[in-house]
Amino acid sequence: MTNYIIRRLLLVPVLLFGVTLLIFGMLQLLDPDERVSLYIRGDPKSDAQVNAFIKKYCLDCPFYIQYKNWLLGTVDTVTGEREGGILYGNFGWSKTGSQPVAQLIARRFPNTLDLTLWAIGPVIFVGIWLGVQAAVHHNGIIDQVARIFSIVGTSFPTFVFGLLVLMIFYANLQWFPPGRLSDEFTRVVNSDQFTHYTTLLTIDSLLNGRFDIFLDALRHMFLPILTLSYISWATFLRVTRGSMLETLRQEYVVTARAKGLPERDVIHKHAKPNAMLPVVTLAGFTVVGLMGGVIITETVFNYPGIGSAAAEASVQLDVVTVLGFALFNGLILIVANLVVDILYAVVDPRVRLS
Amino acid sequence: MSNRVVRLCAKALCLLTLAGFLAACSGRIPSATAVPDSDPAGTQEAARTSPDPATFVQVTFGEPETLDPALGYDTASNEMILNIYEPLIFYDGIHTDRFVPLLAESWRVSDDGRVYTFKIRSGVTFHEGQTLTAEDVAYSFQRGLLLGGRNSPQWLLAELFFGVGVEDITCLVDGCASMDDRDALAAQDSAALLAACQQVKAAITANESNGTVTMTLAQPWGPFLPTIAQTWGGILDKDWAIANGAWDGSCETWQNYYAEPAESNPLSRIANGTGPFKLGEWKVGEELILFRNENYWREPARLARVVTKYVSEWGTRFAMMQAGDADIVAVPAENRSQMDALVGEVCEFDADTARYKPCQVVNDSLPYRLYRGSPTLSRTDMFFNFQVAEGSNYIGSGKLDGNGIPPDFFSDVHIRRAFAYCFDWDVYISDVFNGEAVQSPVIPLAGMPGYQADAPVYSYDPAKCEEEFKLADLDNDGIPAGSDPEGDVWTTGFRLQALYNQGNTSRQTIADILAINVASINNLFVIETVGLPWPTFLRTTRNRQAPYFVSGWAEDIHDPHNWYVPYTIGSFALRQSLPKDLQTQFRNLVNRGAAETDPAARQRIYEQLNRLFYDQTPTILLAVATGHTFEQRWVHGTLLNPIFPGEYFYPMYKD
Repeated sequence: MTNYIIRRLLLVPVLLFGVTLLIFGMLQLLDPDERVSLYIRGDPKSDAQVNAFIKKYCLDCPFYIQYKNWLLGTVDTVTGEREGGILYGNFGWSKTGSQPVAQLIARRFPNTLDLTLWAIGPVIFVGIWLGVQAAVHHNGIIDQVARIFSIVGTSFPTFVFGLLVLMIFYANLQWFPPGRLSDEFTRVVNSDQFTHYTTLLTIDSLLNGRFDIFLDALRHMFLPILTLSYISWATFLRVTRGSMLETLRQEYVVTARAKGLPERDVIHKHAKPNAMLPVVTLAGFTVVGLMGGVIITETVFNYPGIGSAAAEASVQLDVVTVLGFALFNGLILIVANLVVDILYAVVDPRVRLS
Repeated sequence: MSNRVVRLCAKALCLLTLAGFLAACSGRIPSATAVPDSDPAGTQEAARTSPDPATFVQVTFGEPETLDPALGYDTASNEMILNIYEPLIFYDGIHTDRFVPLLAESWRVSDDGRVYTFKIRSGVTFHEGQTLTAEDVAYSFQRGLLLGGRNSPQWLLAELFFGVGVEDITCLVDGCASMDDRDALAAQDSAALLAACQQVKAAITANESNGTVTMTLAQPWGPFLPTIAQTWGGILDKDWAIANGAWDGSCETWQNYYAEPAESNPLSRIANGTGPFKLGEWKVGEELILFRNENYWREPARLARVVTKYVSEWGTRFAMMQAGDADIVAVPAENRSQMDALVGEVCEFDADTARYKPCQVVNDSLPYRLYRGSPTLSRTDMFFNFQVAEGSNYIGSGKLDGNGIPPDFFSDVHIRRAFAYCFDWDVYISDVFNGEAVQSPVIPLAGMPGYQADAPVYSYDPAKCEEEFKLADLDNDGIPAGSDPEGDVWTTGFRLQALYNQGNTSRQTIADILAINVASINNLFVIETVGLPWPTFLRTTRNRQAPYFVSGWAEDIHDPHNWYVPYTIGSFALRQSLPKDLQTQFRNLVNRGAAETDPAARQRIYEQLNRLFYDQTPTILLAVATGHTFEQRWVHGTLLNPIFPGEYFYPMYKD
């Protein structure tokens, strides 16, 4: 097992190199003239300025020199200060966020992580549970309802469902507002009375003993979680149901039943663990999707995570910010992939052997 | 047990889905604030009471770039600066041409119209407690001029103090060669740098003992007061600014602060003004909160807090308005119909009196108030390039061979007029503005000196369009194209590309209207509309490589000078390569108009300018839209001065 994990860990730098190369390669599709806008605020003011920036950042140099500069930055010969360099955490200046991209990610990511933590349970476990129920009651009424539910969920565009629940539960009923927190609690959170232990608002509110803030935060997250859940349940339900049905037809399940094992044990101890392999893969990618920022959900519900920030940057052609988010998402994907691979090995020992 | 739970869950989800569909099919979900017609009057009144009357919430998109009054040059920044900082004089109510004292108690003008002396108001304190002094005022203006750069609005002030056409402090140092380039400026001769700074300090002087500030202009300047009444005339606390890293007031160091961009400007994220509101919290990308200035030198504002939330999604903004959590929201033109359906009170603008008529209740059960009919202060127009620069990719073969145009294609006035007659204003106003716009007869806006409602205008006339094309003489043989046996534009045709900035659908529509109409006159005439990314578009037009382009102007100050300059001798004129003799004619009239203080004489000068502009047609003037603004009916005191960059919260309050 340890060897397997070490082998996987050794692959991480290679994957990271590939991701940076890919993202930088995309950047090279722009002309040097256009790439100047990555370094200067606003619009180019003069040809002299454009040309000076092309020279300064070596935007017409060979690919490998530009790539090196992008990774390590350039050192100003006069001041000795280093400019740029993603390996030094300098992803550039976010025009849409009015702050360095790294700072923007650091500020927005905890919100997305908070949402992910609370969404994982409903999204994955309820989805799996629904899938198991549908498979167990194959062709029964529960299965039929689940299949209709699955089709509706799959075909419902996220923004339509999001706006729908927003209109019902916020504009009409005023139960679950959008945003992150109510104004009165925002004032408390931003004051000295509130200690930020983890930067995750729900966890910090509990650690501060402010159950009212905790509930308010959950109230604001309810609709995003509902939307994410409904859209994801459909997928989990279908995958789990299909995998379970296949497993339930296996001979060892028939044998277990023939031996007189209770049906609950047959399903939960014999069939379900073996049906979970494709679900683990799906769960891994779902978590990556959530942590990478759910762009539409965060935008519709005005949730200040990295998804809504990335959407804003994309709309305003803020290439520096978009590339920063792309790189960050790539990093999350690689880490999540590693975790999924390890989970695979835990769930299925044959993976280790192969 | 398990099955029962499953059934319950399934039923609940089905109901949710069904409810969603029903709600979607109903067209509109009734607002919690929208009371049905049958409700008693008392309930309706209660429904129009804000849940939090002390807090004003506006929900919009587009966030401030800076809170530095010397640098702010976008509406989002300037809206906040408007409420935090104060200028010496201010606009009188909704009037754009009348002023009242603010931080100046009074002012007087010398007989030659060049020297203004302001008596600074006493007893005014900044948000952090310091007292306003004459030195603060002088420092604020001096710092702005020395900050300069084309990213800032300081060119408007530079012209006042250094003369028409002097757009930046660098013009005093090296003839504008180092404009926007701090390193190049710092490399200039130190004596020249010192002299430029001293010229600034000599133009704006403070007399602490009298409590006055004297400003000496380069020439009499009609629009002086409108220029300093804007947000870039906001006054800083000198000591506070220096302590926070702004220019230290020394002529030895000013070049180190020149053209400071917003991200490194030390005053971009903090604020300390004298205005009715002070900066509370600013969570970038989320919200900006202003708190009432309890020590305001006038009566403190009635609103205790103003929260501006940045929400990019229209559906979310609409829901927040419906839930009563927003008092005003930014409404895109294409979504107005959703809001119109919920309007209970309408306030019409009366163009004759330049005021809003008393608001009329049209349906007492509906929650929103609509202000409409006021002219907006920006316009999109179409600009011809008289001499396309070398290297253009947008003129095809570069010859009159049916597959391109010669670079001087638009130097023929008949071609320009033909294009003007081929544009359909009715389609434009209908498609882009839903009919809520008015064709512009002249460069300045209605109500300004120089405006002529009865000035001759072009209108869509295919016959005249054809006639003008036939009168053109692009081969310069003295024979009009319509009867030229050797061939000219009418028989050879042409192909060119019309440019607009990608994503701007209004500008795309403008370009398309003209392309279709011109092609309908002669199928040899081919215009391809091309959307370019903004930086490329800007660079192409600045390099004079666009044969013609669609662009816009939003005024900085409500004065015709701010319109005439870019259209005749300034930024657009340069991009259009207007001939020198034509620019000289324009410049003469523009400068005379700016220097003239007698309104009637100024009007006459501008009427000459209008006639010349119409005859030469360097630009097709399009249309000015009228305003369409919504708010909750519990909001009162809204001051809709069109020159304001956004809301002025001081007079506002809520039920």
